[in-house]
Amino acid sequence: MTSIFDSLQITFSGLNLDLMIVLPAIALMGGTVIFLLMAVNALVAVYFERKVSAFMQDRLGPMEVGILGFKGGKRFWGGIGQTLADAIKLLVKEDILPNDADRVLMILAPFIIFTGAFLTFIGLPFAENLVISDFNIGVFYIVAMSSVGVIGIILAGWSSNNKWSLYGAMRAAAQIISYEIPIGLSLLLVVLVAGSLNFGDIVQWQADNRWFIFHSPFSFLAFFIFFISIVAETNRTPFDIPEAESELVAGWMTEYSGFRWALFFLSEYANMLIVSIVASTVFLGGWLSPLQMFNVLPEAWLFLDGPTLGLFWVFLKAIILIFVMMWFRWTFPRLRVDQLMYLCWKVFIPFGLANLFFISLWELLF
Amino acid sequence: MSEYFNNIFYGVKSFLTGMKLTLSHFKNKKELVATLQYPHEKWPVPERNIGFDHAEYNLIRSRLHVDIDDCIACMQCEKACPVDCIKIDSIKPPKDSDFDCGMTSNDTQKKMIVSRFTIDMSECMYCNLCVFPCPEECIYMVGGPNASKHEIDYEFSQYERDGMIFEFADATDEQIKEAGGEKWIEQRDAKINKHEEGIKLEGEVKIAVPPPVTTPVKADESKPVSKTAVKDSGTGELEIKSFNSISDKMCRGIAKKTFTAAKRAGKDQTAMLSDIAQALSDMGKMTDEIQTILDGLPAPVAEHVTEPEIEQKEPESIPVAAESPTIFEMDLKDLNGIEDKMARGIAKKAFIAAKRAGEDKVEAVKNALEDAGKLDTASEALLSSFTAAYSDSENLDPKVESAGDEKPESGEQSQDLPLFDIKDLNSIDEKMARGMAKKIYTAGKRAEKSRSEVIRDIKAGLSDAGKLDSAIEELLNRLETGS
Repeated sequence: MTSIFDSLQITFSGLNLDLMIVLPAIALMGGTVIFLLMAVNALVAVYFERKVSAFMQDRLGPMEVGILGFKGGKRFWGGIGQTLADAIKLLVKEDILPNDADRVLMILAPFIIFTGAFLTFIGLPFAENLVISDFNIGVFYIVAMSSVGVIGIILAGWSSNNKWSLYGAMRAAAQIISYEIPIGLSLLLVVLVAGSLNFGDIVQWQADNRWFIFHSPFSFLAFFIFFISIVAETNRTPFDIPEAESELVAGWMTEYSGFRWALFFLSEYANMLIVSIVASTVFLGGWLSPLQMFNVLPEAWLFLDGPTLGLFWVFLKAIILIFVMMWFRWTFPRLRVDQLMYLCWKVFIPFGLANLFFISLWELLF
Repeated sequence: MSEYFNNIFYGVKSFLTGMKLTLSHFKNKKELVATLQYPHEKWPVPERNIGFDHAEYNLIRSRLHVDIDDCIACMQCEKACPVDCIKIDSIKPPKDSDFDCGMTSNDTQKKMIVSRFTIDMSECMYCNLCVFPCPEECIYMVGGPNASKHEIDYEFSQYERDGMIFEFADATDEQIKEAGGEKWIEQRDAKINKHEEGIKLEGEVKIAVPPPVTTPVKADESKPVSKTAVKDSGTGELEIKSFNSISDKMCRGIAKKTFTAAKRAGKDQTAMLSDIAQALSDMGKMTDEIQTILDGLPAPVAEHVTEPEIEQKEPESIPVAAESPTIFEMDLKDLNGIEDKMARGIAKKAFIAAKRAGEDKVEAVKNALEDAGKLDTASEALLSSFTAAYSDSENLDPKVESAGDEKPESGEQSQDLPLFDIKDLNSIDEKMARGMAKKIYTAGKRAEKSRSEVIRDIKAGLSDAGKLDSAIEELLNRLETGS
């Protein structure tokens, strides 16, 4: 698997430029692409979420705002300009810093969270050969980088000097750190079976055998543990205890407004996209077409796996997973803190450990 | 242990049940949507009444509407309204004019035209009481039983409160003028002008009456002096605060009341003070203390302001300044004497601009009119009556002499002045005298007498009736000189 970074470096090497110029230029290009992806993702996902939630509650959602006079469909897909207008509103809003807040940390916190999400994208494969930098420890890198955000959350909650913020931050820290364990255990299954931490190798293993979710009953279970855990990791309902509108106003985001709040928002939706892409890459065959999920069809069907369609498949799977996350949100009430901890420590972790044990046996036997 | 697995099983089951339910809503979205896209779609308006079955009472609380063609300006609805949200102005054409006010749909000959019929729907309480007294049945709630006359309108929300005031009168200015309503139009325009001026000057001009300074040059010279005056009396110009030094509560109240009334009537300081003194002595509250306070109030200002003039000009000018410092101070109202509407507008605009910039107002108005080619002899004469006081010394001399001399002569001098407003007579305190003065005024106006003639008539009439006291005389004198 050739990464974008490598191919760009090869392209620029023909120009005989100093490496000190080429490397930052490539990094800047990659960063711009990631940032645009995050921004567009937030715009689309928010609109998508508002529409999904509206339909599940027998409403219509945003219907009035259009782009350049085009309002979208008259009945159900109207208001396509709504999120754009919201984004503009957010950027021109007053940026409030409370008097007694820790100013430095409070300004720093959203950038740490944003940086965590931003860095995660570097190792994220969007398709074959479509990854900013192809690490041979890709899975490990993503797990590590997505944990950076929790530092930002704790800083945000602490620096706001607000009891709701602090409660929210404490809950978030407890929740995110706890749920990283089942996530790690589930990913460990894949690594154990595929024998690699590299996303390209994992997908190649699935192309050679079958989608990992269908590899064994244990991997099937592992997918659900993983998926529910990433919902908790991204602080989405029913695991939105850190933000809990009805209890904590907005949790650790209570005192934030304007651009800094927009950064939180951006990171939140970016995290949703990241975990969905990771789940689809690791368990659902990544850029492989769904027709080959059991790898039983003749070779002629393989054209659908081609590199051109890879991006489409990855995003299709990711969008379906995001839809399911939204579906969760509008179905389930929020868990209590103790229920959340029960679910993690008493259900997911024992099952994850058992999974790991049994899949080792499975690998030995078959 | 089995409970643990049972719980997990139950959890997964209920999880799936819930997901199924929400998905069914998601899929069936078209049938189930409860939202009404309000401005685009509306529920049908229900047929309804106010609770009991009576055709007369089958009303709908919507919006009042007036078929103005049928309105005979009988004022019955205005009187009936418990919250006074209906305002009607009407103009009755003079008897000798052949102005036709039209017929109503009931074949009643209308006797007057309605120049204003406003309903403030933000005040309306939908009691329907205005509807029944109407002899022509021209005011009603729209919709419901009246749907045939006017379609339902229950959503008249506005972005500004003024939008809730509905004007129904449709008489044009020409019609009103034809019916003899110039005066009404003038008053209305004055009101509008005043309002607009207020908006323009908001925050830029103090409420207090500016010190009587005529030209900027003079203002500069008199400034240091009047500043000392400020120190002396506590307030440079007469303000309502000035009366706080009166210790007696009652007296203070009376003084303040009179001051406010006088200020509204547009009187100058000396007149105000004499009014206050009059009011206090009427109440038997006048003490030496108050007298000294009142004396102390205007004196420093008046004296100090006039002193530089004395040094600057001939000694003859003393009487003018001393009599009334504002004698030639041009006011916006004075421009109402200009007949041509366009010219009046231009003049007023120029006046306000000059007032703000602190320039010579008369000069500015004159220039503006000249530029617009609207400067005719009448308006020139009007303007020159203001310029005369401080233009050139050779021009000044005869005028000053005449002003210093007997009143009739100064009356002749101000003959060019337009006839003053009947409202100016409102500051006559005594009811009888006021009525008499107004009667004479109206008679004089009909006979198209000049200002000084009218005033002379009023004086004669009042002194015949033994009603001419010093206050009225002073007022008339001031009116005569046009201040």
